[in-house]
Amino acid sequence: MMAIGRTIRDEFDWPLFIAVSTIALFGVLNLYSATDGGTTSDAYVQQLYWLILGFGAAGVTVAIDYRYFERYGWVIYGACILALVLVFVLGKSVRGSTRWIALGGFSLQPSELMKIGLVIALAKYLHHDTKTGGRTLADLIIPGLILALPTALVLLQPDLGTAMVLAFIFASVMMLTELKARSVVTLIATFVVAAPVTWFYLLKDYQKERITAFWSRVGGTQADLLDSGWHAHQSLVAIGSGGLAGKGFTQGTQTRFRFLPDQHTDFPFPVWAEEHGFIGAILLISLYLFLILWALRIASQAKDRFGAVVAVGVGAMIFWQTVVNLGMVSGLLPVVGMTLPLFSYGGSSLLSTMLGLGLLMNVSMRRFSH
Amino acid sequence: MITLSQRREVGEFRKRYRWMALFVVLVFGTLIVRVAQVQLFQRNRWSGIAQQNITKTLELPATRGVIRDVAGRVVASNRPSYNVHATPGLLRIPEDVERIATLMGLSEEDTAALTTRLVELPENRRTHQLELYSDISREQLAALETHLAELPALDIVTVPLRDYPYATLGAHLIGYLNEVNETDLRDAPDPGIYRAGDRMGRSGLERRYEELLRGTRGYRRVVVDARGRALEGTRPQSLEVEMLKKPVPGHELQLTIDMQLMEALDRAFRQHPSGAAVVVDIHTGAVRALYSKPVYDPNEMSSGLSTQRYQELTSDPFRPLIDKTIYETYFPGSTFKVITALAALQDSVVDPMQRVECLGSIKIGRQKFRCNHRHDWVDLYDAIVQSCNVYFWELAEKVGLERINRYAEAVGFAERSGIGVNSEAKGFLATRDWYKEHYGAFRPGYTLNTAIGQGNTRVTVLQLAMAYAAIANGGTLYVPQVVQNVKAPDGSLSETFQPRVRREIRVLPEHLELLRRALTGVVNEELGTAYRARTREGPLIAGKTGTAQVVSRKSRSGESSSAWYLDRSHGWFAGYAPADDPQVAFAVLVEHGGSGSTSAAPIAVMVMQEYLREPEGEEPE
Repeated sequence: MMAIGRTIRDEFDWPLFIAVSTIALFGVLNLYSATDGGTTSDAYVQQLYWLILGFGAAGVTVAIDYRYFERYGWVIYGACILALVLVFVLGKSVRGSTRWIALGGFSLQPSELMKIGLVIALAKYLHHDTKTGGRTLADLIIPGLILALPTALVLLQPDLGTAMVLAFIFASVMMLTELKARSVVTLIATFVVAAPVTWFYLLKDYQKERITAFWSRVGGTQADLLDSGWHAHQSLVAIGSGGLAGKGFTQGTQTRFRFLPDQHTDFPFPVWAEEHGFIGAILLISLYLFLILWALRIASQAKDRFGAVVAVGVGAMIFWQTVVNLGMVSGLLPVVGMTLPLFSYGGSSLLSTMLGLGLLMNVSMRRFSH
Repeated sequence: MITLSQRREVGEFRKRYRWMALFVVLVFGTLIVRVAQVQLFQRNRWSGIAQQNITKTLELPATRGVIRDVAGRVVASNRPSYNVHATPGLLRIPEDVERIATLMGLSEEDTAALTTRLVELPENRRTHQLELYSDISREQLAALETHLAELPALDIVTVPLRDYPYATLGAHLIGYLNEVNETDLRDAPDPGIYRAGDRMGRSGLERRYEELLRGTRGYRRVVVDARGRALEGTRPQSLEVEMLKKPVPGHELQLTIDMQLMEALDRAFRQHPSGAAVVVDIHTGAVRALYSKPVYDPNEMSSGLSTQRYQELTSDPFRPLIDKTIYETYFPGSTFKVITALAALQDSVVDPMQRVECLGSIKIGRQKFRCNHRHDWVDLYDAIVQSCNVYFWELAEKVGLERINRYAEAVGFAERSGIGVNSEAKGFLATRDWYKEHYGAFRPGYTLNTAIGQGNTRVTVLQLAMAYAAIANGGTLYVPQVVQNVKAPDGSLSETFQPRVRREIRVLPEHLELLRRALTGVVNEELGTAYRARTREGPLIAGKTGTAQVVSRKSRSGESSSAWYLDRSHGWFAGYAPADDPQVAFAVLVEHGGSGSTSAAPIAVMVMQEYLREPEGEEPE
């Protein structure tokens, strides 16, 4: 802590900072265009406030040696779980699901913070796990429970997208450890059984409809475009009509004439791709790719398990959200509510991402200290 | 630092990072390939949809070209038709229906029919607009428009409708339009030409010149948002489409037809239920009148006939659907005698001055042929003036069937004139072989009948008029033309039709001169068959009367009260005017008018004198 002044100068992770800042800045610009002339035209200002808040939070996170987060890991995890429970008590309902808690002037989405909470909890658990060889299923019970508790709460909201991200973070982190072949087989068998159960008992009708619409499009039957396929279709129209160079900033017709659904939350990439074309799209995707590979690099240089797991967890969080969001808007995956980290409008999402990136920076900067 | 936990071994994790990085790169590679596919390779497709998304195309129909007569009088034009459209789902039954009925002055029957129509509409059609009434009257329009605000389900749509100011006059020639059907849409040379609901020319000039008359439709595009709201004045840069394409009106046709002459003919035919008349310019072949009676109403035809109405039209004994000027053929009767005379003169088988004694009948072989009355001694001139059959029978024996037919062909019989509008009958000339085949053997009597225009010779009214035009102009047989010129939408001439000569008939001027003197005598000599049709004033008319026997219909039409009338002969008068300086030739046929001298000749003389008196009709530009 006392060495902060020196480390910032010498060990500050500039590539990480620049990549994150660039994506976030693009996000604000894109938000300006996406909402220009609409009823939410000041959204980009709010996003800027959240961004400043996010950088501030990340700064605080960086300042504290990450080993403190390790020490208070369970407290952080417990606080996140408590916030999730509070959603059901204090939460407000938007479009059929309860995800937000009103905090003074703005709303907070605890499920977003839960992603960081989960990363820290898993890191703490693996940090203290003395095993170095192959693990059995029994060894997965405790981390499994760490995942299951928040996932169940999130599914109750219901928020399928976040539940998926939690599961993906867990799976990615656990990939760091070795699993015995027999256990892998058992896991796959469990999944085969669980999938139909999920489909018939857990998914809501509108979620099933989107998945059906996706598969009918993949199968070439081109389901009725007025239904769920409409969103994915208009998204492809936006991306495709951007061409090589795009239609120009604030010139996207799909955006301006409201053909894109949720253009500032779930569909900001089509707005970007329509206005900046293939060149812009590749630039943005490359920045994400760099960010994730950089997180893996930080993990590989981490001096302890906690740091490595945190880096992989934060990297996984950004990776899966990015891939699912881009896959969904480009028609490769069904439409599920999933934001593009750093780029989508949304305070909680931005804040939790920035906290995660703060942790990443933290691990990166302390890779040399002992 | 001491307070913080011990660092743990991270060696176990190390071997996984490479695989993770590889996985990340592969997944991102897939995304990049996908984005490249959508943005670079499918770009045109998605751009097209993006442009379609934000544009709504409103079609602008083209104005169909106007058709005018020789003097510029409008024969076919366009007027607005006001149609009542309704969205059935928004109509309250019975309140709104009663309101509509009151405003439009509908009968109880019509109101009930409207209610039934609306009630029986299937549920899924109720949100689609429906045409309730088309072409409503001005009073109905005024009443509906004042109360339109109270009836949100209603819409009044204005569409251009073809209008024929002369109604039935010349309807066969001008033709009519009706709605395109699936076959037309499929067979159109360019899919953009017709839309369902469009009308196209179905007969007459409307059909013949469809391509020129219809024009080219245009469109106006407006920028709309996802909810379909029009955003006026917005024009995104990426929009690469034309926002406005003005419709190009159709070409204008100017006919050679003189509607004033047509009206004069119609007045002159007032006493006769059916007949036909053709008037042509002898120097150009330009047709001045093509009159057929009775006629269907083109407005009725364009709205689509009911089966019952169609049956009425087809069973009408006066056959309104048939254009009697070019589609029906008749025995030419004595009007044919000039052809027989021409054949005899040209081939020098007769001395025109040589007289023949007519005793009222002639016996050839075992058959006795009757003349209309006893003409005593007549030469060729007298025989034409008085229409003496005996003279021509004797002549026929000398001339023979082949020569007669040859000259009949020379003046254009048994051959389509080439007028180019509607279907034209060819007519018929019976040959020796034909007689043998159909009647078993050839008998000399057939030649005799042919010589006086009975036999089996059949001509159209137009063919006869063209033949007389050739006699009047010195032997030039023209192709009849009904269109004088075509004007482009900007008013410039795009095509002018020059006279087209079919052939020069090789005849000596003195022979034609003799025939023309005789034709003048028919009207102007006391013994002439059309002398009683003559009038004191006005230019002299020349022509030949004829009476064509009608094949008895008794066997066909049964005991119909009109049967006696339908068995009467047709009256002909064909000729030219003025007699001393011919300008126009004509052929007038009064169906079942009896003798040509009492039915057709007065019509021809009256109309020709009126026509030639008209300063504007005399020498049309």
